[in-house]
Amino acid sequence: MNPILVIAERKITAPGKLNPASLEAITAAQALGEKLGAPVVAAVLEAGESGCAAECAARRLERVLVARHPLLGAYSPDVWVQALVQIITPLQPSYVLLPHTYQVRDFAPQLATRMGAGLISDVTGFNFASTPPRFQRPMFQGKFTAEFGFSGEGVPGFCTVQIGAFRGDQAAMGAQPAPIAAVTVTPEPSRLDSGEIFQEAKQAVDLTQAPIIVSVGRGIKEPKNLDLIRELATALGAELAASRPICDAGWLPMDRQIGSSGQTVAPKLYLAVGISGAIQHLVGMKGSRTIVAINKDPEAPIFEVADYGIVGNLFDVVPALIALLKENPA
Amino acid sequence: MQADVVIVGAGPAGLACALHLARLIDTYNQGQPQGALSKENIYLLEKGRALGAHQLSGAVMDPRGLRELEPGFAADAELGAIPVQDDALLLFTREHALRAPITPPPLHNHGNYIISLNRLAQWLGAKVEAAGINVFTAFAGANLLFDGARLTGVRTDDKGVGRDGQPKSNFEPGYDLQSPMVVLAEGPRGSLSQQLFGHLGLRGTNPQVFSLGVKELWELPPGRFPKGRVYHTLGFPLSSDMYGGGWIYGFDDNRVSIGLMTALEYRDPATDPHNLFQQFKTHPYMRRLLQGGELVRYGAKTTPMGGWYSLPPTAGDNWLLIGDSAGFVNSQRLKGIHLAIKSGMLAAESVFEQLTGRGSLRDYPHKVAASWIREELWPVRNFHQGFEHGLLPGMANAALQMATGGRGWRDPLPTVSGPDRLVKIDQLGERPFELVPDGKLTFDKVTDVFHSGTRHEEDQPAHLVIGDWDICNHRCAIEYGNPCQHYCPAFVYEMQFDESGQRKLHLNPSNCVHCKTCDIMDPYRNITWVPPEGGGGPSYEGM
Amino acid sequence: MNILVCLKQVPAKDAPLKLAPDAGWIRDDVTYETNEPDAFALEAALRLKEAHGGEVAALTLGPARAAQVLREALAKGADRAIHVEGGEAHRLDAFAAAEAITRAIAGQAFDLILTGLQSDDAGYGQTGVILAELLGAPHATIIMQIEPAGEKKVKVKRELESGNFQFVTMPTPAVLTIQSGINKLRYATLMGIKQAKNKPLATARLDDLGVTPSLNRQQLLGLALPQKSKGTTLLPGSPKEQAATLLRHLRQDAHVL
Repeated sequence: MNPILVIAERKITAPGKLNPASLEAITAAQALGEKLGAPVVAAVLEAGESGCAAECAARRLERVLVARHPLLGAYSPDVWVQALVQIITPLQPSYVLLPHTYQVRDFAPQLATRMGAGLISDVTGFNFASTPPRFQRPMFQGKFTAEFGFSGEGVPGFCTVQIGAFRGDQAAMGAQPAPIAAVTVTPEPSRLDSGEIFQEAKQAVDLTQAPIIVSVGRGIKEPKNLDLIRELATALGAELAASRPICDAGWLPMDRQIGSSGQTVAPKLYLAVGISGAIQHLVGMKGSRTIVAINKDPEAPIFEVADYGIVGNLFDVVPALIALLKENPA
Repeated sequence: MQADVVIVGAGPAGLACALHLARLIDTYNQGQPQGALSKENIYLLEKGRALGAHQLSGAVMDPRGLRELEPGFAADAELGAIPVQDDALLLFTREHALRAPITPPPLHNHGNYIISLNRLAQWLGAKVEAAGINVFTAFAGANLLFDGARLTGVRTDDKGVGRDGQPKSNFEPGYDLQSPMVVLAEGPRGSLSQQLFGHLGLRGTNPQVFSLGVKELWELPPGRFPKGRVYHTLGFPLSSDMYGGGWIYGFDDNRVSIGLMTALEYRDPATDPHNLFQQFKTHPYMRRLLQGGELVRYGAKTTPMGGWYSLPPTAGDNWLLIGDSAGFVNSQRLKGIHLAIKSGMLAAESVFEQLTGRGSLRDYPHKVAASWIREELWPVRNFHQGFEHGLLPGMANAALQMATGGRGWRDPLPTVSGPDRLVKIDQLGERPFELVPDGKLTFDKVTDVFHSGTRHEEDQPAHLVIGDWDICNHRCAIEYGNPCQHYCPAFVYEMQFDESGQRKLHLNPSNCVHCKTCDIMDPYRNITWVPPEGGGGPSYEGM
Repeated sequence: MNILVCLKQVPAKDAPLKLAPDAGWIRDDVTYETNEPDAFALEAALRLKEAHGGEVAALTLGPARAAQVLREALAKGADRAIHVEGGEAHRLDAFAAAEAITRAIAGQAFDLILTGLQSDDAGYGQTGVILAELLGAPHATIIMQIEPAGEKKVKVKRELESGNFQFVTMPTPAVLTIQSGINKLRYATLMGIKQAKNKPLATARLDDLGVTPSLNRQQLLGLALPQKSKGTTLLPGSPKEQAATLLRHLRQDAHVL
C-alpha cells in the first residue's frame, strides 16, 4: 500500500517547535496505516534546521522528509502549496493527513484542488467497517456526524484531522529514530506579502481555542462568588466561561457565553460548575472531550453529558479542588 | 413616510386583506388606464423574521373563507391541505378514553381541512408579493400615531437599541408611516390594538376572554395515527371547573399535531397550562399514541374566545380591526381562520371603496353584519359565557341556547375578564398538581422553547414592560404567588431570591413565544407586552 | 472596487434539525437564514463600497428558496444579485460548488471576492479557497479587516491561532474568507426592501452550467446522530474526597490535566 503522508506544522510563534496538533495527525495516520498496512511518512517544511524533523522522527514513522528552502521560513499559502506538490507527487501517498489548524485551513483546499484531489476537512475518526475506509466528520455544527469517502482515482485523499480528536501523546514512539531524508523543492516567491505575527490587547475572547474551560451557571448565586470560580480557573490554567443567565445578568461579559446564543466549544476539559444544563447550553459544549459537572441537583440534565459528575454543593467542592490543585498544580 | 394603507400583521386576516385588495385594484385598473391606483405604498408589516414564522394554530380549517379567496386551494400541493377523513370526541377520565357515541355537531369536521397555519401564511404571502404588495417581514408596528383622537399612522420598531435603551452603532430608527387607513390584523391581543382601545376608550359589550393553546408537533412510528383524522378530547387533565380540551390531528409524514386549550379563566393562580399539557400527554391513551415518537416542534398562542358580544367596535374613520385582533372566532366550533380570511376580505373591500371614493371604512361593520360572519357568530353569541363555571353548566347552557336560537337564559350573557377570576392564594385549598417532566414524553418549558425555534436579539430592552416592580416582588408574591411564572408557557418569568433572600422577578425575554398570555392574565395589569426588535420570536415552521 | 460576495442559505441557528428518512441530508422543513460569516462578508463589502466606491454583487448557490438571501442582500445595499440555482445544490461538495460559482461568474471582473470562512451546515471551510485556486487568484482566510493598499492591492488582517494576528498584502483580484463578528451588521430598511425589487437578479441553472454531483471529489455517504454520550461516573464521598477522586480521574484516566 502506498504510504500515508502527514504534513507536520511548526508552531507559528516558535518555529523551532512542532505544533502539537501535528502529533495528533501522526496518531491518526498511524491508526489508518495500521489498518491499511501502509507505512507512515511525515514531511516538514523549513528554511533552516528547525529541530522539528527530529521531533517527528522520534515517533514510529517509516521516514521523515525535510524540505528546506529560504522561502519556507514564514508561512505563505502559494509557497507551501508549490513545495508540497513537489513533495507529494513523487511519493504518491494514498492519503495525506494534516492537522486542522488555521494555517492548514488556509492552504489545504488549494493543495488538494491543485492535485486534482478531494479534501475531507475536520476528520474526527475512521470507519474501517467498509473498504476503503470512511472518514467521519461533524456536520451541521456537530448536530450530526457525517461519513465521507473520496471519489477520485489515482490521487491521494486529503484529510485534515480535527484538533483534539486524536491524542498527540498516544503517537507511537519508534524503536529508533526514523530516518530523515532531504527533498528538494523549488517554490516561486509568493504573491502575498505577509507581515509579522503580532498579538493585541484581547478584544473578544475566543473560547473555541481554549484547551480547558471552567464554566459557571446560576448555581453561583451572586456575582461576588465568581472570584471563587476565577480562582479555580487560574489553578487549572483554564478560560472562564458561563451559561446565558450569568451573562444576561451582566456578571460576565457576553463574549464569555457558551451555548446556542454564545460560542460553541469543544475543549479537552470542560468543567461545568452550578450549570443545570439547559439544552441551549448543552449544544454549545457537548462536543467537549471530557466533561465534568458539579451540581447539587442530581437530576440536572448536565449529568447526562458529563463524564464525571459530582452531586454536591459547589461552595464545598470548589474550594477543595482549589486546595488540591495548589498542593499539586496541573 | 406617506402610505396609502398600512396593514399590521401577516396572518390569515392581514394576508387575505392584502391579496383581495391587490386584486380589487388590478381589476379596477384594467378599466382605468389613466387614473390607475398604485400598490406601491401599501405596506403589510409582519414582526416575524419570515412569512408564517409566528403563525400557530391546530389547525382544522373551515374552507369557507379560503374558498372565496382562492377557490383552487384544495388541489394545491404547495399548501398541502389535508381533507378531514374522520373525527371523534374522546372523553378522558384519569385512566380511560371513552369515545363519545356521537360527535357533537359543532365538532363535525367533514368537509374541513387539516392545515399548517405556518404554511398557509407562506403560501398566501407568496401570492400577495406576486400580486404586487410588499410584505415587510421583521418589521413590527411599535406605536400608533395619533392626532388627538384621529389615528394618523403607524410607527415601526426601532432597530439596534441596546439593553440599556441606548442606540447601538447599527441603530436604525423606526419609520413613521403616515396613513389614512390602518388595518390591524395583529392576531389575539395585539399590542397596537390595545393602544387603540386605550386611546379611544373602545370596548365591547363583554370584555374579551382568551384561551391559551399549547401545542407540540410529533413524528410517530408509521401507521400510528392516520393522516386526516381529527380527535378532540374533554376531561383529563382539566378539572371539571375548568374549560378547555385537547386535540390530536393527523398530518402527513406520520406527524400529529397535539395540544391542549386551557381557558384563561381559571381560579387558581398556580394553574400552569404548559404543565397541564404535559399531564395530558401522560394519559394512557396519549402515552400509547406517542410511544416511540419524537417531539418535532413546540408553540403556544392565545385565542380570543368571547365571541360576538366581546367584539369591540371594529372600524373608525381611519382604522379597521380584522381576524383575531377583532375577536372573530367561533369558540363553539373552535374555528377562526375562515372568519379571519373573510373579515380580511371585507376589510379590503372597504379600503378599496375608500381609495376610490365609493365608500368609507365605516361601512366595514355593516359588511360584517351582512355577511356569513354574523350569521355564524350570532347564534353562538352566549356560548362561551356559559362555560365560565365549568364544563357541565356550559353544556346545559349550550343545549338551551340551541333551542332558543342562541338567546339562552339571558341575552346578552355577561362575562368577567380572565384575570379578575383569579383567587388569592390564602383563599385556596388544594393547589394544582405539578408534573415533573421526564424529558422523553413530557418536557420542561425550556426544552419546549428550544423546539419553538425562538430567537431574539439578546442586546435589546426587555419587551415585557413591568409597570411597578414592587407589585411583582411584594404584593403579587404574597397575594397571588406570581402567576406569571406559572401561566407563561415559555419560562420568561422566573422568581429568584436576591442576596438578602428577598423574592425578585427575573425576566428571560428572549424565551418569549409571543403568545400574549402575560399581557392578558396579570391580575394587576402590571405587564405590557410590546413588540421586541422586528424579526425576534418563534419560528413555527410546519406548525 | 467591484466586489462579489458569496452567501449561503443555511438552517437558522438553533433550528431543531431532523434527518431525512434516507439519512442523506436533513429534512427541509426548517427555517433558513444567511450563513452568519457570509452576512459579515456582505457587511464588509458594503462598507468597502461606501468608502471607496464601486459595486457589490451578491451570489448564492442553492434551491429556489435561497433567493431570499439575495433579496436581503439587495435590501441592505448590494447592487445586483446572481442566483446559481439547483435543487441538488446541497449535494455538491466544496470543489463542485466552487466550480459552479466559477462558471457562473465567467467573464465578469471583480477586484475582490468575499465569502464567509465556513458554512454552518456542511462546514467544509473550503469553498472560498478552492474558488481562488480555480480563478488563479491569491487568497487569505479568516479575515478580520480589509483595506485597499494602493493600485490593485489590498491589505488584510488575518486571525491566527491563540490571539495572534498578521497583516497580509496581496494583489487583486483576490479571494478573502471572512470571520464572524468583524463588524456590526446593518438592518435592511423599509426603503431598501422597496428598492431591492428593482435591482437586477440574474439566475444561472446548475444544469446549464454543467455542474452535477459527479464533479464531487468527496462523497457524503450518510449522516447520523452523534454517538450517545458516555455513562457518567458519579463521584462519591465528602467534598474533599470527591475533589481528590476527580483530579485523579482527570490526570490518570482522561489525561486532560
